[in-house]
Amino acid sequence: MHKLKLTPEERWDYLDKLAEEVVTLKPRRLSLKDAIGDLTIRPLTGIPIALGILFSVWMFFSTFAGFFTDGFMVPLFDEHYLPWIQDIFPKEPSWLYALLVGTPGADNCFEAFGVLTTGLFVPFGVVLWAIIPLYLSVALLEDIGYLPRLAVLVDNILHRIGLHGFAIVPTILSFGCNIPGVTAARILETKKERFMMMTILAIFIPCGAQLGIMEETIAGEYGNWLMFAIIGYLLLGYFVVGWILNKILPGRSPEILIDIPPYQRPIWKNLTMKTWIRVKCFLVHAVPFVILGSLLVNILYIVGIENGNLTLVSFEEGDRSIMGRLSIALEPILAGWFGVPKETILPLVTAFLRKDLAVAQLSAIPMSMYQLFTSVVLISIYFPCIATFAVLWKELGFRGLLKSIAILIISTFTFGGLLHGLWMLMGVA
Amino acid sequence: MFKILLMGNPNVGKSVVFSRLTGANVVVSNYPGTTVDYTKGYTKIGGEEVEVIDVPGTFSLEPKDVAEEIALRMLKEEKPDLIIDVIDATKLERGLYLAFEIMEKFNYPLIIDLNMWDIAVGKGIEIDLKKLREILGIPVIPTVAISGEGIKELADMERIKKVIMAKEKKSMNEHLREILRRIKEGVKDA
Repeated sequence: MHKLKLTPEERWDYLDKLAEEVVTLKPRRLSLKDAIGDLTIRPLTGIPIALGILFSVWMFFSTFAGFFTDGFMVPLFDEHYLPWIQDIFPKEPSWLYALLVGTPGADNCFEAFGVLTTGLFVPFGVVLWAIIPLYLSVALLEDIGYLPRLAVLVDNILHRIGLHGFAIVPTILSFGCNIPGVTAARILETKKERFMMMTILAIFIPCGAQLGIMEETIAGEYGNWLMFAIIGYLLLGYFVVGWILNKILPGRSPEILIDIPPYQRPIWKNLTMKTWIRVKCFLVHAVPFVILGSLLVNILYIVGIENGNLTLVSFEEGDRSIMGRLSIALEPILAGWFGVPKETILPLVTAFLRKDLAVAQLSAIPMSMYQLFTSVVLISIYFPCIATFAVLWKELGFRGLLKSIAILIISTFTFGGLLHGLWMLMGVA
Repeated sequence: MFKILLMGNPNVGKSVVFSRLTGANVVVSNYPGTTVDYTKGYTKIGGEEVEVIDVPGTFSLEPKDVAEEIALRMLKEEKPDLIIDVIDATKLERGLYLAFEIMEKFNYPLIIDLNMWDIAVGKGIEIDLKKLREILGIPVIPTVAISGEGIKELADMERIKKVIMAKEKKSMNEHLREILRRIKEGVKDA
């Protein structure tokens, strides 16, 4: 007997007949779930609800992070731990002191720069307390079934840049961490969409760790509005570059249908388990990079090259260190094009490894609020952190990665230079 | 080792079934496309070592995105001893579409997990299990994976062995032919 082969139409015909046989629908009343589901999708009610949810997540995030970081961690690190470790280390400046404790006489863990001071304070004193509420919020939104509804709501806006509404899901995930965001973009249908999505995510969406540090340093010093302005500028970049890519890249962005699952009561155990899996991922995969990052920049700061030989350089002659020379060499670009202090090279080097540490290091460099704005934007977009870079490589392949990097470089010079131009027009550069 | 592949449409609860079966912690969410890569887990069913593979959701065997490509590749390369097709009980036809396609193109024993049974009941969707089992001629097990209901019946080695033996006698493609005949002619006094 020959093998049975069916066309999709034949399959559906048989299945319709089967369903008729075995499935009966009982009429029922509209449930509360349906009513809520409807309200969250209609623009008139859905947009205020979405903004309300965003605001609640923000409040939860900033209150939780503030409570633990400002309430416990900052006093613990700055008043007890830092004086103690400065005390037990041999007093005279040595290279070991510079690496591990950092700047002599520093009075807070942001400006000390040592592996055992800033290197521990950033992940455990600040970032951990920011990502817990963020991951928990994202997990809650995932579990109740809100994200697909948000996708329907924003479908119109995202279609203008050639993306399906579902692209909001990778975007939201990226605000927690770019890596799951980039991988979630796999479900987009065409190569073009996936490339666009992954590229603009990795360039423009700041991750939870970075947001946590921004909340502590930038919002702490200038107020929340500055942080919102920076995020707003990055989102503008996300849309503008998305729009341009959609115009110039070949390929199509088809309509796809998505399923709207029913709202479900979240299960506490699943929420905590999921948050824990992600926090553990931060502890295991990110913390080593923070520590490595602070070690690396410190080495570049105390080692100089004299006549082809490596030499140790003291803090007073920092200009002769590798980092110092790098900053002088790149000054025309940094100061000339972007209008930021040449010392910004240090956090920019760090940003290859970790953006949270990089933003933390910014607070030790004297600069105006406008320069700070530009610097944070630069740190955010000029390179994805090394882990995201690896995932991009895996997802896009080498050629795709190169294309993505080209877009990244153009974006960095454009959006960084644009800000500098804006400050000049305003007379504040 | 005995190998089970968990397949099904997106967002039907495959990952929940997976973590129920293996006790492994995997990320589950309430939106389609949470699982974009496969996950392997190990467990013991009826005294036998079993490898369970959680496969990304797919609607058909003609892949539309990277996650679906992975699903098709797993099906081709893993050579499972059993496929559990997880179906959202509120979307029976769509789930069975994939089941039919798998039976037609691959010769692997198959059982059906009608998951989210509670939601179907809540929505007033009544499925005549007896009739459905008779027509399909393979085990159909209603579950509520999120609370664990029905998982024990799903992991019943005796029943699994029977399905495997039945396949030895008759290929799945032939089995599908019989299903289609029963659909066309109707089952007598169900």
